[in-house]
Amino acid sequence: MARGLVTEAELPAVRAKTSRWQHGWFVPYLFLAPALFFYVGFLVYPMLSSLWISFFDWDGLSPTKTFVGLDNYLKLFFNDEVARRALWNNVLWTIASLIVPTGLGLSFALALNRNVPGTTAFRAVFYSPAVLPLVAVGLIWSWMYNPQFGAVNVFLKEIGLGAIARGWLSDFNTALPAAFLTSVWANAGLPMVLYLAGLQSINREFYDAAKIDGAGPLQAFRHITLPGLSETHVIVLSLAVIQAFKVFDLIYVMTYGGPGQSTQVLGTWMYFQSFQYYHAGYGAAIAWVIAAIVLVIAVPYIRRMSRS
Amino acid sequence: MRKTLAICSLAIAAAIAAAPAEAVDKTTLRFFTIFDAPAMESWQPVIDAFKAANPDIDVKVETVAGSGAAVYPDVLRTSMASGDPADLFFMWGGEIAGPFIRAGQVRPVDDYYGRYKWKDRFASWIVARLQKDGKAYGVPYHARGMAFWYRKDIFDKYGLSDPKSYADLEAICTKLKGANIYCATFGGKFGWHPMRLLDYFFETKCGPEVHDKIFSLTASFDQQCVVDAYALLKKWVDEKWLVPDFLNVSPDDSRMPMYQGNAAMIIEGGWMEDVLKANDQDLKLYDFFLPPTDHQPQRYPAFPEQWMITAASKHPDQAAKFIDFITAKDTQVKYPAAFSGTATADVKPDCATSPHDCKWAEILSSDRQTYGLSDQAYTKELADIFFEIQDGVIAGKYAPADAAKTMQAKAEAWKAANPR
Amino acid sequence: MQAVTLDPRRRRAEQTLLFISLLALSLLWLMPFVTVFLSAIRSQGDLISRGVFAFPKTLQWSNFAKAWNTGEFAIYFRNSLFLIAVKVPLGIIIASLAAYPLAKMRFRLSMPIFVFFLAGLAIPIQVTLQPLLVIMKQVGISNSLFALIPPYIGFGLPFQIFVMRGFFRLIPSELLEASRIDGASEFTAFWRIMLPLSLPALATLAIIDVLATWNEFLIALVLISANESRTVPLGLLQFQGEHSSNYVLLMAGIVISIVPVIAVFVFLQRYFISGLTSGAVKG
Repeated sequence: MARGLVTEAELPAVRAKTSRWQHGWFVPYLFLAPALFFYVGFLVYPMLSSLWISFFDWDGLSPTKTFVGLDNYLKLFFNDEVARRALWNNVLWTIASLIVPTGLGLSFALALNRNVPGTTAFRAVFYSPAVLPLVAVGLIWSWMYNPQFGAVNVFLKEIGLGAIARGWLSDFNTALPAAFLTSVWANAGLPMVLYLAGLQSINREFYDAAKIDGAGPLQAFRHITLPGLSETHVIVLSLAVIQAFKVFDLIYVMTYGGPGQSTQVLGTWMYFQSFQYYHAGYGAAIAWVIAAIVLVIAVPYIRRMSRS
Repeated sequence: MRKTLAICSLAIAAAIAAAPAEAVDKTTLRFFTIFDAPAMESWQPVIDAFKAANPDIDVKVETVAGSGAAVYPDVLRTSMASGDPADLFFMWGGEIAGPFIRAGQVRPVDDYYGRYKWKDRFASWIVARLQKDGKAYGVPYHARGMAFWYRKDIFDKYGLSDPKSYADLEAICTKLKGANIYCATFGGKFGWHPMRLLDYFFETKCGPEVHDKIFSLTASFDQQCVVDAYALLKKWVDEKWLVPDFLNVSPDDSRMPMYQGNAAMIIEGGWMEDVLKANDQDLKLYDFFLPPTDHQPQRYPAFPEQWMITAASKHPDQAAKFIDFITAKDTQVKYPAAFSGTATADVKPDCATSPHDCKWAEILSSDRQTYGLSDQAYTKELADIFFEIQDGVIAGKYAPADAAKTMQAKAEAWKAANPR
Repeated sequence: MQAVTLDPRRRRAEQTLLFISLLALSLLWLMPFVTVFLSAIRSQGDLISRGVFAFPKTLQWSNFAKAWNTGEFAIYFRNSLFLIAVKVPLGIIIASLAAYPLAKMRFRLSMPIFVFFLAGLAIPIQVTLQPLLVIMKQVGISNSLFALIPPYIGFGLPFQIFVMRGFFRLIPSELLEASRIDGASEFTAFWRIMLPLSLPALATLAIIDVLATWNEFLIALVLISANESRTVPLGLLQFQGEHSSNYVLLMAGIVISIVPVIAVFVFLQRYFISGLTSGAVKG
């Protein structure tokens, strides 16, 4: 027990005495210093440095750069078909991420919230893909999509749908959706966990009151569950969008941007431009487009997080 | 106190005396290559032999394997950008090495050529291919030729023989299709495997002169012979002469159908013999023929691979010594497993255990003319554009005429954005 | 009255239906794991001739040893474990140090600084890559594992500071005030009171961080090129490049790479999940 234990009666007096600083104004900053060092030094400063680079034409290796102003950004939006394709792929991926893995996660959460036996085990199963390195996820599903030996095509042939079996990752039309399906497997778990926590925080009394009033399950869902989850929605949907614009690992491992650059996303196109084609300035511009979009979308999310 | 001091100084003196008399500082040479596991096995004795002959030099091997020219240059570039590259490294020829040379990251080796008299060691076409702006930047390691490798037993079974013209080749494919066998197999994941077929069509339809001009971007893609070449690619896909759905298959994987007897041909280089051995294939079932291009001279695709020394290396002399060792005929004759496809003249492989290497050695040291490869003629960015159009033709996204036009437009845009 | 008697039966029917559907879905969800594992314990010939769903005729456990050796996984594991051993404790302590004033001290820049850190949750890694490479080169630690530690710490801070701050705020200030009366320094208050009381949160963050560090790919891809310094994800990709057509060996390599994270997850799920949800639910 701390030596200076105070009684209930003395508390207000104690609070009054210690509400003012007895140590210097710089004390908080001393505590913050290491974190600020790493955060500013290895996140914020590189980010600003990238912004600077994005106004230049630079190969990343030589000591000289050429100033080009907004040319890199103009090229991205107006002159580079692959970049436009990449942006479009990101948009598609994002819209799909807002619907599929989150919808699936919500369904799992609703099901698990009914106190079915084995909830912990089910939750673990559905979440488990999210703990794997994405490289492994990509390689596992590349194997499943193997045209000759992979589980997907073998399964399709077994159930008589052999006609639609194909090289899923080789086909211009199915490569991106196939990669997206992989990300659904990997990413439905987090929404599920978040929604489950959100569901469990909704006051039970609301449901009891509704039942007494004669409301059916659907009405309860619409008028109690959904509104009760509004906070969780903000977080889940923001995270989904943020994740979707940052996509890199799966595409790099599964399709390498192909076939024919059709599955490039901004994250991978930036990598190719900066580290394979020696266009560091252009790559930085692409990276900043990703950052700008994500930061804008994340504002409500960050606001919510800072309020709690 | 004095006693302790005495004992201490005695101990220190003893320690100094007992320390091995290292008159020479050991230099560590970092050696960066694309060796995969089987290649490392065959190279270990070579490295050990060098270390034994040069106890003051330690050689450390660093590798990036598997995706060919797709990933290794990235890794090399990363290490150069970080200021910490290896001392010497493996490199393909042509434009893959271009950016490194232009960025001043490669040490010119004319002085070592003089010191070690390397010019006498290799066929002249190889040395010429490795020069840039009149300077020598690399020392030949391999002279690689590529050809159509085929299953002899399948050809025998259906009464087929080496095609002497493109028409013959088509006849072979038609016959095989009738027997439900794929004519050829390719893996399109990185683009450079089907590229070999397309390059062959370019050579066949455009002829040597125009093809070379296209490689150097001094002739337009938007011409009839190029349209014809793309049309041939489309034909091979539409006629189902190629194993389907191959755009995301890796080149290694694409060999499987051939091993299983479901496909008859593939375009590979002299290294195929080692690959067949590593995959426990019966060498007697395989042979190769040079691509029938319907032109005189009948060129075949070939390229040198080289050793380069980094400009940042602190041990260029030791690196050169190592290069001299590994390109010397004596060394190569002692360790044939590591040097199949060598560029060093007069190193004859054992024709009994490596019959195909033997055949290749003859071809490569002859005067027969060669043509380069698209992924070596163009920088990675331009090559990726080339592959994008290539994939588009394969998938039916571009009609051949559009493909030629689009390729020319993109090549011009690239040239404008990347003035040399 | 009727509503009451119908309820238990309806409820049981609903429960059974749900349970069966969940069971079916779980089996489907686990399929990829099953496929990979099955493929890893057989021979290539067996896989090719009998197909991926057939149970192997003879089990070939040697694939794992072979993958481990030819794939040099010992190096990759060593590197990833080293990174974890250094980065995780360091990062969490730094985050806790920063969270303390943000939670327990009143000063004008407290909220702005907190939001400043939070913004890091949304920043994509791509926007820091090229400059990171340049910085590491200038400092001279490029192409080594040490180069990964500062960016890993930087990117981990937003989430960790958020969680620790939330947790610290739950600890009654009376305890701190008592120690201040005693004349103890802020650091002592932090070290002797806040940290020990926060062990559950620290443990949770540690587990989440261990997994995140094991799995990180892009920064490592850009900063590391020497095989000696590769982490497990890089090593796995390298392994795939070398053996892409030896399917059974490749699967064995994948299994090797994911067993540690699966193990951590299975045994420590509870902490893991609670850490994730601390962001979604108040208190």
